[in-house]
Amino acid sequence: MYKYIIRRILVFIPMLIVLSMIVFGLAKAAPGDPFTGRMLDPNIDPEVYEQQREALGLNDPIPVQYVNWATRIVKGDFGESMYYKGRSVASLVWERLPNTLYLGLFSLAITLIVAIPIGIYSARNPYSMFDYGATTFGFFGLAVPNFFFGLVAIYFFAIKLGWFPSQGTITGTDITGFQEFLDRIHHMVLPGITLGLAGTASYMRYMRSEVLDVLGSDYIRTAKAKGMSERNVLYKHTLRNAIIPIITLMGFEFGALLSGAIITEQVFSYPGLGTLFINSITNRDYPVIMAITLLLGVTILIGNLLADIFYSIVDPRIRYD
Amino acid sequence: MFKNKYGLLAIALLVVLGLVLAACGDDKESEDEPGVEEENKGNDGKKEDENADEEPKSGGTLTGAMYSAPAGMFNPIFYEEAYEANILSFTHESLVGQNESLEFIPGLAKEWETNEDQTELTMYLEEGVKWHDGEDFTADDVVFTYKSIAHPDYVEAGGIRTAYVQPLLGYEEYVNGETDEFQGVEAVDDYTVKFKFAEPNINPLYYASFTIIPEHIFADIPVAEMPEAEESRQPGKVIGTGPFKFTEMVEREQYVLERHDDYWQGAAYLDKIVWKVVAQSVMSGLLESGEVDFIADPNGIQPADYDMISALGNIEIIEQPDFGYQIMGFKHNHRTADDVESGAINPDNWVPNEKLADPKVRQAIAYAINREGLIEGLLYGRGAVLNSPIAKQFWAYDESETTNYTYDPDTAKSMLDELGYVDADGDGFRENPDGEEWILNFDYPTGNELREKSAPLIEQMLEEVGINVNLRQPKEMSAYVEDLTNDNSDWDLYLIGWSLGSADPDPTGLWATAAAYNFSRWNNPDSEALMQQALKAPEAFEQDYRKEVYKEWQKLFSEDLPAVILYAQNSLWAYNDRLQGVQPLPFTMYNDPHLWWVSDAE
Repeated sequence: MYKYIIRRILVFIPMLIVLSMIVFGLAKAAPGDPFTGRMLDPNIDPEVYEQQREALGLNDPIPVQYVNWATRIVKGDFGESMYYKGRSVASLVWERLPNTLYLGLFSLAITLIVAIPIGIYSARNPYSMFDYGATTFGFFGLAVPNFFFGLVAIYFFAIKLGWFPSQGTITGTDITGFQEFLDRIHHMVLPGITLGLAGTASYMRYMRSEVLDVLGSDYIRTAKAKGMSERNVLYKHTLRNAIIPIITLMGFEFGALLSGAIITEQVFSYPGLGTLFINSITNRDYPVIMAITLLLGVTILIGNLLADIFYSIVDPRIRYD
Repeated sequence: MFKNKYGLLAIALLVVLGLVLAACGDDKESEDEPGVEEENKGNDGKKEDENADEEPKSGGTLTGAMYSAPAGMFNPIFYEEAYEANILSFTHESLVGQNESLEFIPGLAKEWETNEDQTELTMYLEEGVKWHDGEDFTADDVVFTYKSIAHPDYVEAGGIRTAYVQPLLGYEEYVNGETDEFQGVEAVDDYTVKFKFAEPNINPLYYASFTIIPEHIFADIPVAEMPEAEESRQPGKVIGTGPFKFTEMVEREQYVLERHDDYWQGAAYLDKIVWKVVAQSVMSGLLESGEVDFIADPNGIQPADYDMISALGNIEIIEQPDFGYQIMGFKHNHRTADDVESGAINPDNWVPNEKLADPKVRQAIAYAINREGLIEGLLYGRGAVLNSPIAKQFWAYDESETTNYTYDPDTAKSMLDELGYVDADGDGFRENPDGEEWILNFDYPTGNELREKSAPLIEQMLEEVGINVNLRQPKEMSAYVEDLTNDNSDWDLYLIGWSLGSADPDPTGLWATAAAYNFSRWNNPDSEALMQQALKAPEAFEQDYRKEVYKEWQKLFSEDLPAVILYAQNSLWAYNDRLQGVQPLPFTMYNDPHLWWVSDAE
């Protein structure tokens, strides 16, 4: 098992190197640089930007720039942002990462709490009113774009009803302790639901079809035949097998939690990695783009690794060595 | 079984439909309710208006909104964006400001004088001005500010405001490190400071209008390290002389300003101003609910929302023309590949663009564009037609002798007919006088929704007079500007917008032949001569003289047409009517915010 994990981690390294090369190349291949989008003020001498380009090494050949960047990364230095003057990339990412992480986990929790019971219930009572209702909701959730649902949610729940705040992560700077925690949760409700909507729908569909599938299998019939209670059949035999694809899904979702928040964060002015990523792309803030891409790459790889490990826990037939 | 299945499905659908309908019903109800509230609010508003003569009250918090978070640089000499400017205009001040008619007025400097040939400007400073930390503001702070901008490390550290120090005496020597003494700005005594220019300067007060930073805070921080210093970015550490102090922030969400009690013009009425970062899409809702009290620069409210927001009843809207404008440029010339490679702007090497070489062709195109139509259709009338590339608010704007291209497709057609641009092969589009295909490539950037929408409309207008326009895919701004700059290309028509300052109408930054931003690569010696003439001392010390020269230049511009000025959009700033004492200036809403007060202060 440990050997397996170490081997997997070693495989990550070349993958990350290739990923970084591709992203660096693509980012540089995109026309423009950190200054082109800003240099439209006739009161500012374009020569100034030329000097700054030179100072940042943007005039060097791209392979040279890549090697310079990679050498620094190996030393653990993600460099300085080219857009946020005087800020290190690491400080920018660390400042946003918790927001996105909390939002992601919160939305995942909502997703699982809602989707799994509904999925199971639908599977046990297929073609019932409830099942059709859930299916309809499922398609609705998959079909409605995130940003639209977010706007509608803001309109009704924040502006018309005033139940939830619509923007940001916190009301003010003067609350602390448990109050602050509650306030942050309060701020996360609408973006959390918006972010989790599509996920809820797909987890629900997966859960339903898996449970349905397992319920029809021979060993469940055997279990029932030997007089096992419905309850035990469900929890001991059915769920354990039905949950495997959900774990795969979660492995992928792990990365999606970080990247998928981009649109939701915009709508709710939620200062997380998503907004930072979008800004750094429009501003061609290469060091930040690279850092976030690497971070996403690492999370997706780790997510998949965790999924594989969980497999072996849930399903003892799977063994790695 | 199947029947049953579909029956259930139908029921499910009905349920959903019912929910939707119910939701719609709720919607109506909830729309009605605020309607009632609005009336109430409207009444309240009237009451407040009746009470408006009442004495201003101290206290209260005001919430302002912006659509993007500031990048976090709260040092006036390093900040770049309007979002930081929003905060800095409450916390920091300059020696001089501008009034209603754009004349310079006293700020931290109470009076000033220039010598005969305008090479020296002596400014007498207000005494008793306190920084937020209680220190005295003196002439040394002014010298320090300008010295920092002129410092050899300033540009590499990320500074871009060198335009303010370039004309000062001894700048070159100082920035190149040849001397440690900067002659350009000198403290005569604690409250007198002298600006010295290398050459007679026609607008010296502009150069003296830069925001001042405190020497006692930054003295020990090398210029190269200023951007990362806490004193440039952390609330409580950022020190200015303005009526409000920057005291707290939730980074990228909220920025809290509190009253500066020792403010030299008297403490502000408001306790606090809180800036919140909100998404543009929910702005009108937040104004309606009172969660946000005002929204101004850099975006304001959308023209499309004007009617809806003014109908809310509790919101006042300030509508004024903007200093900037949108243009459709004509590529007069292209650069050569070698020049693009080396970055040289050498008019002698330019390759004329034959497709648009004749000024009459450009004029015909201008006649074919329905600018009023664009303003009505895209801006909902919230904009103005400009007939010259100088903002209307300036003394220099003069359209008395310009050719004003009022929409007239028939004139456009007959002009093109006369020039020999006729449809020779019957494909519906005009060919050039030699009977060859004549297709104009048309490029535009994304990022400004109204400008994006204008491109296909303009294409349609030009095709109506028989011009074959090849409208290409829009490009994202960074990419677009790069292509616009590296113009050894096949571009003919392009869209771009300029946001311009209120300090001086001098157009050389955009339209001088060698200017980087002269994307049309317009090369007209007469224009060049006029622009220089308008800046030449000592004649140009007289504004009337400059006005005459600019009149000539605007006439020439409108005839030679390096670009069609499409429209100047109006700024739409909105604020809740609980806020009193707002006296907007042509370029900002934040005029004397220490006199702002709220009617519901306790």
